[in-house]
Amino acid sequence: MQNMKNQKKTVLIVGGGVAGVSAALDLAANGHRAHLVERGHDLGGQVAKLDKFYPTDHCAFCPLWTEIRRCKQDEAIAIHPLSRVETLEPQAAGHRAVVVESAPVVDPSLCIHCGRCEAACPKGVAKPIWEHAYPPVYVIDRGRCGDCRACAEVCPTKAIAFDREERRIALDVDEVIWAAGFEEVSLAPMKEYGWGTHPDILTSLEFEAWKAEAGDNRGKILRRSDRTVPLSILFVQCAGARDLRFLPHCSAVCCMHALKQAQWVKRRNPEIDCVILYTDLRTVGRDYYEYALRDFNGNGVRLVRGRSSLITPLPGGNGIAVKYEDTITGRREIRPFDMVVLNGNLQSSLASKPAPEVRPELSGEGFVTAASVSCGFVLEPADVTESAIQASSAALKAITDRN
Amino acid sequence: MAKIGVILCNCFGEIGDTVNLETIRERLASDPAVDVVTLRESLCQPGDAAAVHALIRERGIGKVLLGACSPYGRMEVVRLALAKEGVDVRTVRAADLREGCAWVHGKDPEGATRKAASQLGMEIALLQNMEDSRDIDIRIRREALVVGAGPAGLSAACGLARMGFPVHLVDRGTAPGGLLNIVTKSYPTDDPGPAKLNPLIEEMTRNPLIRFFGKTKVASVKGYAGDFKVALKGPEGSTTLRVGAVVLATGARLLFPQGLYGYGKTKNVITQMEMERQFAAGSVACKSAVFIQCAGARNAERPYCSTICCPLSLKNAMRIVEEVPGAEAWVLHRDIMTPGSVLEAYYRKALQRGVRFIRFDADRPPQVRGDGQVSGVEVFDVLSGVTRSIKTDLLVLSTPLVADPESAALTRMLEIPVDRHGFIAEVYPIHPVETRNDGVFICGTARWPVSSDQALAQGEAAAVKAASFLGRGTASALSMSRVPGPKLGHAQANADTCTGCGNCVAVCPYGACKLQRMGQRSVSRVIKVRCKACGSCAAVCPNGAMQIPEQNYRVTGAMIRRAFREVR
Repeated sequence: MQNMKNQKKTVLIVGGGVAGVSAALDLAANGHRAHLVERGHDLGGQVAKLDKFYPTDHCAFCPLWTEIRRCKQDEAIAIHPLSRVETLEPQAAGHRAVVVESAPVVDPSLCIHCGRCEAACPKGVAKPIWEHAYPPVYVIDRGRCGDCRACAEVCPTKAIAFDREERRIALDVDEVIWAAGFEEVSLAPMKEYGWGTHPDILTSLEFEAWKAEAGDNRGKILRRSDRTVPLSILFVQCAGARDLRFLPHCSAVCCMHALKQAQWVKRRNPEIDCVILYTDLRTVGRDYYEYALRDFNGNGVRLVRGRSSLITPLPGGNGIAVKYEDTITGRREIRPFDMVVLNGNLQSSLASKPAPEVRPELSGEGFVTAASVSCGFVLEPADVTESAIQASSAALKAITDRN
Repeated sequence: MAKIGVILCNCFGEIGDTVNLETIRERLASDPAVDVVTLRESLCQPGDAAAVHALIRERGIGKVLLGACSPYGRMEVVRLALAKEGVDVRTVRAADLREGCAWVHGKDPEGATRKAASQLGMEIALLQNMEDSRDIDIRIRREALVVGAGPAGLSAACGLARMGFPVHLVDRGTAPGGLLNIVTKSYPTDDPGPAKLNPLIEEMTRNPLIRFFGKTKVASVKGYAGDFKVALKGPEGSTTLRVGAVVLATGARLLFPQGLYGYGKTKNVITQMEMERQFAAGSVACKSAVFIQCAGARNAERPYCSTICCPLSLKNAMRIVEEVPGAEAWVLHRDIMTPGSVLEAYYRKALQRGVRFIRFDADRPPQVRGDGQVSGVEVFDVLSGVTRSIKTDLLVLSTPLVADPESAALTRMLEIPVDRHGFIAEVYPIHPVETRNDGVFICGTARWPVSSDQALAQGEAAAVKAASFLGRGTASALSMSRVPGPKLGHAQANADTCTGCGNCVAVCPYGACKLQRMGQRSVSRVIKVRCKACGSCAAVCPNGAMQIPEQNYRVTGAMIRRAFREVR
């Protein structure tokens, strides 16, 4: 129980977002080894794709990038990108994991980001991983690739190869930390939200990428349908969440996320009318309520308590009709908006995995139970701060036995 | 003087197709400051680092300038590879000829070449003039002080001990446990509070690495990360300790609602804590209990949500409904704050158990009826638009957690900032238990209102962060960096020219600059371990006595002169 100092442990971490990266760094800093298994091309997870993060309104990528760089520099952390855990078998001490690492078409260790592949690709599928990622690791979307191999010919460092084979690595680990983060659940089954019926009805993550400073519009707030400036944007909270027909849980991050986006829209273009349709405004962290107060105090984001009952494109497609009740005034309204942003449809990314796949014991709502060590959104809906705390706590659980 | 070698990278034409590297090579070859110039096709591909290392060795190069790409892109790959080869990367500088010259000035090759030459020239001037911050090693004392033995502090202490570190756990009370001790049911599991604490208290008693100091306060803390000198004042007098790290888990207090909703004047208007005590004594008796949320919170004076009051009211309202025969419970709220899956399920459970909820507006708070003894509450229900009169004989005020004034003295001694509400500030949201002062960590409600479960997790997090520092044994001042890699250097005050004006002391965000008596006058001295080389002190020093050697005023001057010489 006591002196764990000389026992070097090896820990498998499933997921390379904020939670996984933080846990890996804590393990390494305490003299242990970590294997970070990430399904994407690079570390960072969902947060790395965000344009801004609350409550600082700083770019989301930068502070996380520092942590990612630390991971890459640490010899005690083995990073397995484009990987998944194929099997996980308990053994006498710990587990044996088989990790399948698929090979990227563009080898990031050779790619110099010159962009010649992007220029040569007739289908436009050679692109940086995210618009604002740095260094801008290039990836080729094999799903839409025409297989002409023009990119491989122009690549000066021979980083592009289509015949690399996936690798299977067997790892003996003492403990597993589940940190697979969250994923969006398709709102298509919830017909009243109208998602998928019109390009101006977006989920909040789609809107985040659409409005990003480094995105296609260079931060301009535009409609997706015709690239004109919208006059009004409605943010619908609890879309699919706190709903016994769909996701019973509260996704915890969406209230602040909507406030952040609405305020950012206002900062970019004060002319745009922003309305947030909420149920309970959940602002429990440090500075969060004051962040919300900036809205009450007159920069123009309107908070309306209520839920929408129908969201549908207007005839002709110019605008979206939204039917809702303002539960404070009691008025039922049908109002047109130029854009609708749906917020709340987030779940633990382990929830959607079918049962035979490698996963820990899950609660009915898809969150990891106390039977396994986990951190971040798979444990409980969590933002960056909560995830970082849970990650350190998970690191402790992984390296010590409590008794 | 160390030989300066310049290595120019063509980057497969990405640089050389725009910037005329041959011209630059010729000019540098005739530069008296430069000993070696070579041109390479690449620097970041396999084998390049070994070739560069071989060149450095063969030609006896002491300082290296790479003319290549932006410092944080591929250059990071180059640096890592060079470090792996055994090259001291502190002697390696890079000028950005690709992103900064060739790419942005692609349409103006001559301009790009001029700019490239300028940047290389400035870096050469820097290499010629830069000095070394004398590094020092500190011995890290392998033990920790944890202040406060509530859930957060206990969890931190046990976590540290589990990892093998001796811990001094200090609390002003006689026994550990904090507020949770008196709670007979805690949310969301309905376990008694001590059930969460007892395993930790047991572990604390059993583990000889933890020493508990009851009825003890921290009288003073001096020193810095790795070596804090702590004076404790307890029932047996004073104790002095030297510890490597400090974990603050000093907790918070519940706001005493004097004057709010008739508290103190009207009978049966109580706080949540008083309700917990009544439950513990088995003496809750009422026909109808009304809970008022945000009593003294989310207002102009305290514009924050205290996190725990909504779930606390859900729990106690359910207890009223279930444990007091025939009683009903109402929760008057402004928003029900139950984020996540566990708490949201808890809210649903309360609804199912028959707890009734009324939403009110902050501008129209509930009115308490009754003369001397509470008889009812009138509240405007914003959702139905009518004013409701609720008969009640017990009014429970959900007051927020407020910062404990006693921890203010500690934060001053440790030179760490608090936020607008007096809670201890973290260094950045992604580093939630670290503070501006290395070696000082925070957890629990001293940091921000949290539930006991969150406090336990934060205690473990603080333990892990403290352990990763304590476990290092020794640390060099240059390694105490907040970014990957070592610090640039640290500031140094010239005792001969320092006038002791104190500007540096006033601006240093890390408490690294201190005035020290030297004979008849005071001079500034820099605590190297704390300095983060931000340069604030150098910027406000009126006579240049404060400098960071790596980037001192001679370096800056030489770089500017060199830049203009290259332009001509």
